[in-house]
Amino acid sequence: MNPFVFHTPTRVYFGENSASSCGDFLRELGGTKVLMVADAFLEKSGALAPLIDSIKESTGIEPILFTDVPSDSDVDCVNKATVIARTSGCDALVAVGGGSVLDTAKVINICLTFGGEVLDYQGLNIIERKLLPLIAVPTTAGTGAEVSFVAMVKDHGESKKLMFGSRFLAPDVAILDPLMIVSLPAKLTAATGIDAVTHDIECYVASGTYSVFTDSLCLESLRLLFEFLPQATIDGDNLEARGATLVASCMAGVAFTNSGVGITHALAHAVGAKYATHHGMTNAVLLPHGMRFNFESVYPRYARIARFLDLAVEASNSIDGNSISSSDDRALAHLLLNKVEALLRQLKLPLNLRELGVPELTDENLAELVDLAGADPAIMFNPREASVEDLTQLLKRAY
Amino acid sequence: MAVFTDTDELHRVMTDLWTAISNEKDMAAQLLSSRLIVTFHYREPDGRLTVDCSDGKEMVITVGDCNKKPVVEMFMKSSVAHDFWLGKVNVPLALIQGKIVSKGPVNKALALLPAIKPAYGLYPAVIEKNGLKVSIT
Ligand SMILES: NC(=O)c1ccc[n+]([C@@H]2O[C@H](COP(=O)([O-])OP(=O)(O)OC[C@H]3O[C@@H](n4cnc5c(N)ncnc54)[C@H](O)[C@@H]3O)[C@@H](O)[C@H]2O)c1
Ligand SMILES: [Fe+2]
Repeated sequence: MNPFVFHTPTRVYFGENSASSCGDFLRELGGTKVLMVADAFLEKSGALAPLIDSIKESTGIEPILFTDVPSDSDVDCVNKATVIARTSGCDALVAVGGGSVLDTAKVINICLTFGGEVLDYQGLNIIERKLLPLIAVPTTAGTGAEVSFVAMVKDHGESKKLMFGSRFLAPDVAILDPLMIVSLPAKLTAATGIDAVTHDIECYVASGTYSVFTDSLCLESLRLLFEFLPQATIDGDNLEARGATLVASCMAGVAFTNSGVGITHALAHAVGAKYATHHGMTNAVLLPHGMRFNFESVYPRYARIARFLDLAVEASNSIDGNSISSSDDRALAHLLLNKVEALLRQLKLPLNLRELGVPELTDENLAELVDLAGADPAIMFNPREASVEDLTQLLKRAY
Repeated sequence: MAVFTDTDELHRVMTDLWTAISNEKDMAAQLLSSRLIVTFHYREPDGRLTVDCSDGKEMVITVGDCNKKPVVEMFMKSSVAHDFWLGKVNVPLALIQGKIVSKGPVNKALALLPAIKPAYGLYPAVIEKNGLKVSIT
C-alpha cells in the first residue's frame, strides 16, 4: 500500500429539514454574532427562513445577512463582506449556497480570523491554525466545498483565480438538507452532479495519493450518482434523489480534498477562468477527453470502478448484449467510459466546448488555456504527465 | 541522522546547486522567463535562499537574510529539500501532508516544477563535492 494521509474535520449532518438544526450547531460552536453569506436567489425565494429562524431560536442571534455574492466571486466581494462582518463584531459564519458562496465564505473567514490582506493568505498550507466557526449548507450537489480544504476566488478584475488551500479551511459542520436544493434548475442539477462524478473519477486514479479511504468514498459516491442524478435532474422535487446526490457529492468532496483531482479539472479551471463557463458544465464537456487521455495509464483502476458498478452485467443484459469477461480490464474500463458518456447524453449536457459557448479557439487562445492548465494545481495529481502538445490536442478534440 | 550538519553546510550545498542550475542554459532561460523572486525557507537546520529572476537576464542567488520581496515562498524541512532534489519526493503527496508550504500564487510556484526537474541530475555531484555523508540513491 502507498503512504497516504486521510483527514476530515467536518461534522456532516444529513436529513430533510436538517437546516433547522443550524442554530443548535452554532450554539455548540460558540458564535455570538454570525455573518450569513448566502445566495441572493435563496434569500428572495424564502429558503433561508428555516435557517434564520433556527439561529434566532437557539442562540437569540439575528444573523447579519450578506447576499451580494456574484457567481464568480472575487476579492472585492470578500473584502466588502469582511468589513461588514468586522464592524458588526461577527465571530462565526454560516454559508448557504453553491460552491461560489461557500468558497467566498471560506475566504472571508480567513480575513476575519487573521486580519490583513486576502492576498497574504493565498497558497497551500499557509494557514496553520483554526479559523472562526463556519457552518456550510450547500444548495447545489456537486462541488464538495462544504467539506473541502480549498477555496478559490478571482483576483480584482482578472480571469485567474486565487487559490487557498489548508485543512483548516474545511467548515466545522456541513448540513446536507435535500429541501435546500429542490429549487436548483435541471441543467444546474445535472452540471453540478457531473462535477461530483468528475471528482470521484479523477480522485480514484490520482497519482500516488489515493488511499483505501478515498477509494471507498469514490466508489459508493459514483454508485449513488449514476443511480440518482438522472432522477434528481428530471424530477427536482424527488427528495430521495436529491438527498442521494447531496450525500454523494459530499463524499466525493471528502475524497478529492484528500487525494486530488486531475487533468479534467486543470482544463476546466482554465476554460472557466477565461470564458466564465460554469465549473460543472465545463467538467462535463472535458471528462470523457480526460478519461481517454489517461486510459492507458489507469485502465485497471477504471476497470475496478466498472466491476464495483456491475457494468459487465449491465452490458450483457442490454439489447446488443455482448458478454465481457470479468478479467478483461480494458473492456471493463471502456464500459465505464461508455457509461459516463451515456450519462452526459441522458442529462442533455453540452457535449463540446462550442456548445458550451466557448468562442473559436485561436492559436493564441489555445496557448493561454494550455499555460493556465499546465500551472493548475490539479494537473500535479494527474496519473499521466501531459505535455503542451497533449493539452493542446485535448482542447482541440473537446472543441 | 540529519542530512546537513548545520546552516552553513545547507547554504553551501543549495548555493552550489543553484549556481549549477544558473549555468545550465536551457534551465536558466526557463526560470528567467518566469521573472519570479522565490525564497526557500528551510528548518532543521534553519536556512534561507532567495533566487531572483526578476530582471530576466541573470539569476541572483542570496543565502540568509535578503531584503527582496519574494513572489513565491516555499517552506520545508531541509531533509525534504534534499529528498526533493534527489527526485524522491511525491510533491502532490507532500503538499497534501503539509510537508511543503507554498505561499503566494500557487500556479506560479507549480509552473517552476517542470523547469527545475532536470536539476535532479545535477544534485548528486553537488552532494559529492561538499562531502556530505548521505546516501544519494
Ligand atoms: N472549494 C471547492 O472544493 C470547490 C470544488 C469545486 C468547485 N468549486 C467552485 O464552486 C463554484 C461552482 O459552484 P456551483 O457549481 O455550486 O455553482 P454556483 O455556486 O456558481 O451556483 C450556480 C448558480 O446556481 C444558483 N443556485 C445555487 N443554489 C441554488 C438553489 N438551491 N436553487 C436555485 N438556484 C441555485 C446560483 O445562484 C448560481 O446562479 C466555482 O466557483 C468553483 O470554482 C469549489
Ligand atoms: Fe470540481
